[in-house]
Amino acid sequence: MTPAFRAVVRKEIRQITRDRRMIPMLVVAPVIQLVVFGYAVNFEVNRVETVVCDGDRTAQSRAIVRSLEADGTFHDIGPARDCGRIENEVVDGRAQAALLVPRGLARDLAAERPAEVQVLVDGSNPTIGRFAALAASGAVDLQGMRVLRERVARQRGLQGAEVALPALQPEPRLFYNPQMKSPLFMVPGVAAMLLLVVTTIATAMGLARERELGTLEQVMVTPVRPGELILGKVTPFVAVGLLDVLATLTVGSWVFDVPIRGSLWLLALGTVLYVFSTVGLGLFISTVSRTQQQAFMGGFLAMMPAILLSGVMTPVENMPSWLQPIAWINPVKYYVEVLRGILLKAADIRDLWRPLGALFVFGVLILTLAVARFRKRLA
Amino acid sequence: MGEVVGERGVVLRAEGLEHSFGVIRALDGLSFEVAGGELYGLIGADGAGKTTALRILAGLMKPGRGTARIAGKDPADARSGVRELLGYMPQRYSLYGDLSVGENLRFFAELFCLDRRVFAERSERLLAITRLARFVDRPAEKLSGGMYKKLALACALLHRPEVLLLDEPTNGVDPVSRLDLWELLYGFVAEGMSVVVSTPYMDEAERCHRVGLVHHGKLLLEGAPERLVGGFSGVVLRATGEMERVEGLLEGVGAGVIAVAPLGGSLRVVVAAEAAGGVERELRGAGAEVERLRPNFEDLFLARAGEVEGAEGRGGGGRSDLPLRR
Repeated sequence: MTPAFRAVVRKEIRQITRDRRMIPMLVVAPVIQLVVFGYAVNFEVNRVETVVCDGDRTAQSRAIVRSLEADGTFHDIGPARDCGRIENEVVDGRAQAALLVPRGLARDLAAERPAEVQVLVDGSNPTIGRFAALAASGAVDLQGMRVLRERVARQRGLQGAEVALPALQPEPRLFYNPQMKSPLFMVPGVAAMLLLVVTTIATAMGLARERELGTLEQVMVTPVRPGELILGKVTPFVAVGLLDVLATLTVGSWVFDVPIRGSLWLLALGTVLYVFSTVGLGLFISTVSRTQQQAFMGGFLAMMPAILLSGVMTPVENMPSWLQPIAWINPVKYYVEVLRGILLKAADIRDLWRPLGALFVFGVLILTLAVARFRKRLA
Repeated sequence: MGEVVGERGVVLRAEGLEHSFGVIRALDGLSFEVAGGELYGLIGADGAGKTTALRILAGLMKPGRGTARIAGKDPADARSGVRELLGYMPQRYSLYGDLSVGENLRFFAELFCLDRRVFAERSERLLAITRLARFVDRPAEKLSGGMYKKLALACALLHRPEVLLLDEPTNGVDPVSRLDLWELLYGFVAEGMSVVVSTPYMDEAERCHRVGLVHHGKLLLEGAPERLVGGFSGVVLRATGEMERVEGLLEGVGAGVIAVAPLGGSLRVVVAAEAAGGVERELRGAGAEVERLRPNFEDLFLARAGEVEGAEGRGGGGRSDLPLRR
């Protein structure tokens, strides 16, 4: 802690607190974003607007419609306007799904002939499409089983009695997030994203600003060393980043019931290592930009792939194999692993040494590279 | 380097400085020396290489070739302790606009590791002589041009440097504040500080102990301003009359006319000594009133730059290609 380092930190804090937009931007905005993202980014699909065309109008056809609507995925918004062109309802966007029960369904079933129920689903959003198709086949399977049971009972002369069928039933048990709540998955991801945005952009723009305004020139003729200047400039933002993580986790557990099952110390270690990487990235961006505008654009360009190729939204393993190596050098990926591990799985250092080590290595590499470039640009 | 740094010894030395930015040659073998307690002016038009030279001397960049030394030390080597000896005030605004006058002073004092008591003493004195004490809480960005420059000067002086480098300190400063600044500089020089001032304003040359005329990254002339102007062999004429005719005539005269610049409703014509009689006659013949003027520094500069350009085949007819020429 040299006097020059302390001077830079003090000056930086003074500038941050003096700028009325800074504190809301650095602390309040991330928390609001977490809440908004937590509610908005939801992978559960539970309201697919559906039109129904019951061409059979029998007790059995009504039972099928009811069973399709029973689990809440399909939301009946009324009968189709024209059963002959029911697909138009999906095409023109009035409904996301259309259910067509053909005339003669009950008769076919009674005659033990194959019968079909058609479900048309708008697949332009694959998540909705997949959920709706799954829900439809599940409901129809269930209805099919009932028909089968009745038929077996009839054959055995056991009218009205329950018949057990020798069917193979899967018995899934979900660990860590048994109710499959999206926020439990998303909140750690959002925390990692926010920390990346705050620390990378603030670092990149802070140094670019000094260069653009000419203040760097005045500072560099003093005995301050580049390392002291850089550390002094980023330290307040690292503190803000840690505060943001604390705030998002508090809000996450309060609003979304996100658990904190593992060690907070390990979480702090992972966060510090991660912030080293993000600050290094910001510093590197500042060395390749001449103005604040360039630094902002550079930060944005670096962050988009860092977030998309991190596993925050979709698993890295699902990406094409040629893209996956990019994720391996992505600190966001490792930090999300650490966060989810600690929060949801109570993972300890034995489980997390790989991502923690990767964060350490990445942080050291990018910081070294960035400081070297910064020195070179000064010279 | 081993030179003796004493009362009159050399404290700043630039030797054969060369530097290029891409295809632009900013410095082309610039050399000069400044002694202790000397006020040295680097005079030259915009783009002459003054800022590059000062930035090299301040240790902000390394020259392509040549050496720069401050008290025998390499200014680019931060570990040599050279920065404690050096004060630098860039041409651009370089203080923190959102920090107050007092906060800017304190920040730079802390970077130089001044202790509290020393800082309090020095800042009080600097605020008093720059007359900024009343504005100590005002953000730097809210200061006028002149006050801002004085604050920048104060920030560069807090650590009592031996050498002060000022890049166009009077640029954008009103005449009264400009005088103030010069008065301040005289005070520091009297205390033994060496000051290098760059300026494009020729009238400021006369305020320096010694000046170096920089043109295309080279020193054209060097010496005490009064001696340089005294040794100027050219003749300066004021020609008044029908302007278009006079100008046309001067175009026709060609060699001998070094520079032509507007002067109120007349023209200021710098002429080589040997051509002076002829030019005067022709002007009178064309009905112009002609009067001889005392040469000043600008005339000297235009004449010398014109000669160089003529020799290098840059300008036409031996005339200078400088901003003041019509």
